[in-house]
Amino acid sequence: MGFEVIEVEYIVETKNLTKKFGKDTAVEGLNMHIRRGEIYGFLGPNGAGKTTTIRMLLGLMKPTSGSVHIFGKDLNRDKLNILRKVGSLVENPSYYPHLTAYENLEAMRKIVGCEKARIHEVLEIVGLTNATNKKVKGFSLGMRQRLGIAMALLNRPELLILDEPTNGLDPSGIIEVRNLIKSLPHEYGMTVLISSHLLSEIEQVATTVGIVTKGKMIYQDSIEALRRHSQHHISFRVSHGERAWRSLMAAGIKTQFEGDVVTLNDHTDDDTVAAAVRALVREQISVYRIEEDKRSLEEIFLQMTTKERAV
Amino acid sequence: MMGKLLRVELMKIKRKGFWFLTFLGPIGVVALQVVNYSVRWDYLKTLSDDDWLFYLQNVSGFTPLALVLGIAILTSFMASIENETNAWKQLLALPVRKTHVYLAKFTVLAGLLFLASILLCVATLAYGLTLDFGSGVPVFELLEYSFFPFFASLPILALQLWVAMVSENQGLPITAGVLNVILTYSAYSLPDWAIWKWTTLMNAWQEPLYNGLMGLAVGLVIYMVGMMDFVRRDVK
Repeated sequence: MGFEVIEVEYIVETKNLTKKFGKDTAVEGLNMHIRRGEIYGFLGPNGAGKTTTIRMLLGLMKPTSGSVHIFGKDLNRDKLNILRKVGSLVENPSYYPHLTAYENLEAMRKIVGCEKARIHEVLEIVGLTNATNKKVKGFSLGMRQRLGIAMALLNRPELLILDEPTNGLDPSGIIEVRNLIKSLPHEYGMTVLISSHLLSEIEQVATTVGIVTKGKMIYQDSIEALRRHSQHHISFRVSHGERAWRSLMAAGIKTQFEGDVVTLNDHTDDDTVAAAVRALVREQISVYRIEEDKRSLEEIFLQMTTKERAV
Repeated sequence: MMGKLLRVELMKIKRKGFWFLTFLGPIGVVALQVVNYSVRWDYLKTLSDDDWLFYLQNVSGFTPLALVLGIAILTSFMASIENETNAWKQLLALPVRKTHVYLAKFTVLAGLLFLASILLCVATLAYGLTLDFGSGVPVFELLEYSFFPFFASLPILALQLWVAMVSENQGLPITAGVLNVILTYSAYSLPDWAIWKWTTLMNAWQEPLYNGLMGLAVGLVIYMVGMMDFVRRDVK
């Protein structure tokens, strides 16, 4: 029972986590790192292996190889102690339709062992107080989703794992849940893992993102680092691509070229653009077009995930 | 942890018809004899020297079928509680051992069936007393016919629970249930080693105790195998 609180670098750490179903590899060599207090956005297209990964984090599935450490403890050895401090909502919310919202939470409370008042607390948090004594059978999809979140919060988890938590919610519900998730780290000291196939969803809450596609982690960094990728590109369509590239290089401006298009990546401030134009004119290279190409995070995400798919 | 899980399981079977079925089974079996004896009591009297024993045998003619049918329905209800909304992932992501969850489900089912056996015993005795058989109640035989079928049916319960707990397609446990009922129905023509014959308390030695003991032993073995299989599998 003794579960000493030790400061660990990562709340969740997986090493080469792999899961195979027969010949299919659902998750391959996944290394996930989640720090305390983070809201970790776990992104990927449908079928990328997000849910399989989450199931392995919760000990619902055994990895084919690799390891999972949560709170610095091996999930294989300390499963029950770890799960005591984890709350989860995996895929569609699960509930007992013939029981009321209160009874559903009570069935769970008996196992996790918190006080009864906590049931009303979590119902209040997700805005289901009015439906306390209604059978879940008659709940709308959004209400079921809220109940699922209430269940995940019941044991005051240190790590909250939410798989697609805004599924089925209406716009105002989405905003409510988003605000709730945002408040969890500083109000309750929780660390949150939230998965989604929509970047826009993650972008607004996450502090760190992990992008997974075809079972592999292809990107893992802070949301700011991802945003930097979305900064502008300035492309020049010129008469001689390679010459332009060389002369710009000589002028100390880093670019890439492809055919007759030269692209300016890192520094796209006005001065650099002006200097580049000057250099091109000096070299007597005709500049046909200067275009600004603003990529949204969504495009980056799409590009990252489809690039991998093409391999 | 077991106590908590048992209480949770008892809570979850609310409003599902579990209690109704538990009462319906034994009452139904005795009710058939109520009809039988009210219609042709004079005729039945002529068939045997020991009216009490004959009455007990009449009752127990339907006990195996009711029991096996009950097992099929209750186990599939039991598994459906979680299967319906795939609540396994919710339940098993809590700090619980899979072995305990399995044991809790088995215990609740066995408990309901045992309760049905007690009711069978009481109902059999109550109606028997109203019939005025003119001799003392054969207590030992009454207990034998009421409780040995329960112990003898444990292998079927363990088997049925195993199938219901691990199959993703709920057609499978239903098929298994139908097969179990058919095999129990044809118990007379089955060899002594067939588990479906045991609930009828028939064997070459004319000793119902053997059926009870075999049921307990083999039931335990099948239970263990089923539980290990449940633990080994990934959660649906």
